Amino acid sequence: MSEHDKFRELIEPYALGALDPPERAELEAHLRADCPECSKALDEARWLVSQLARLAPDASPSDMLKGRLMQQVRAHAGAAGSRVPLWMWAAVAAVLLFAFYNAWDARQLQERISATNESASAAIAHQQELQQQLALAKREAMILTDPASMKFTLPASEKNMPELQVKWHAKMGICIMGHNIPMPPANRTLQLWLIPKTPGAKPMPSMMWRPDPNGDFMLMVTNPPDQMNDVKALAVTEEPAGGSPQPTSTPMWLGSVS
Amino acid sequence: MFLAVLTPTDSRSVSPDATLVQGLLQRDVRSFEQLYDRHSRVVYSLVLRILRQAASAEEVVQDVFLQLWRNAAHYDPSRGPFLPWLLTMARNRALDQLRLKGERQRRREDQVDELPPVPVPPDFEHSLDEKRRSARVHSLMDSLQPKQKRAIELAYFEGLSHTEIAESMKEPLGTVKSWIRNGLMRLKEGLLAP
Repeated sequence: MSEHDKFRELIEPYALGALDPPERAELEAHLRADCPECSKALDEARWLVSQLARLAPDASPSDMLKGRLMQQVRAHAGAAGSRVPLWMWAAVAAVLLFAFYNAWDARQLQERISATNESASAAIAHQQELQQQLALAKREAMILTDPASMKFTLPASEKNMPELQVKWHAKMGICIMGHNIPMPPANRTLQLWLIPKTPGAKPMPSMMWRPDPNGDFMLMVTNPPDQMNDVKALAVTEEPAGGSPQPTSTPMWLGSVS
Repeated sequence: MFLAVLTPTDSRSVSPDATLVQGLLQRDVRSFEQLYDRHSRVVYSLVLRILRQAASAEEVVQDVFLQLWRNAAHYDPSRGPFLPWLLTMARNRALDQLRLKGERQRRREDQVDELPPVPVPPDFEHSLDEKRRSARVHSLMDSLQPKQKRAIELAYFEGLSHTEIAESMKEPLGTVKSWIRNGLMRLKEGLLAP
């Protein structure tokens, strides 16, 4: 009998658990040495031996055993079920990612809306400014062309200075135009004064301006006094930037309203 | 090959068992309950036969089924049907329990044996298969010499080794080995026969 045949005969008693320790150790060493035939035979022998369970007299466990078992298994299943499975973590991550993306997208959208609003506001402001300019231009045109406007000049105090042209409309305002006017120093401004007829009354301060680089300007006073007759003369002085409440220099231009 | 030929009747029970074991892997309590209903009776019968004490047998059966619930993944369907695997696990645990007890305690427990069996109506076909299989094993074992059958029973239900059986039966060791080996071969042949 070969060594292998000897072990093969031990397989069924081994599955039965009947081998004495020395034989059992030898067979287990043989099985560990990877004998496919004996391993397969052992699987079959285990099945064969398990059939001996049928020899046991038939008996049934109590219902209480099943009750206890089911209670434990349900508790274990509940505890296991309460653990969050991997797929759920993935779903949560996906939802969070989606939420973050949505928040980012909403923020981007909000920023775009804000930018659009700002440019719309700027456009509206620009339009209002243009409308204002248009209104002023219309007003200037009316003052300059209306026969009701009174025209006069403000002679310069110095001979080589050009005079200023004035058109005064009782309701629309006063337009004062100048050409080739010398530029005041950087910290100075031209200021218009209305000289009242009332004896002793102080000159009323009016608008301040600087001519353009060519020395030209068109000044419009939109709130002239209610009664032109109350004003005796117009004067223009050079004042510190920001203007003065009272003239601080000799008028560069001075002319009576007539 | 042997298992495939030998267990034609199992093919009807293995398939549902394999499905139910898959259910256990998904922590399906209903699958567990069905497996328990299908096999608790034969498992309990075996464990009670080994331990001969109902309370201890129930403890072991409870332990076996809890192990099944926790370690269902240990069952490898490619190595054979489910029930023999479960019965092998139950027998090993019962024999472990038996070895933990002293002989004196065992004898005392022998006298307080016998808890009246509670009838459990398992699934009808499964019950028939069990009965048919059981009758065949009984018939084959009864065809052995009484001493040969006794030797196999001592090994299977008492967990005794060849030497212990020889001492217990006061028979030569070689004779006991032959009885057991030949008896198992006859059982195998009988189960293989159509």
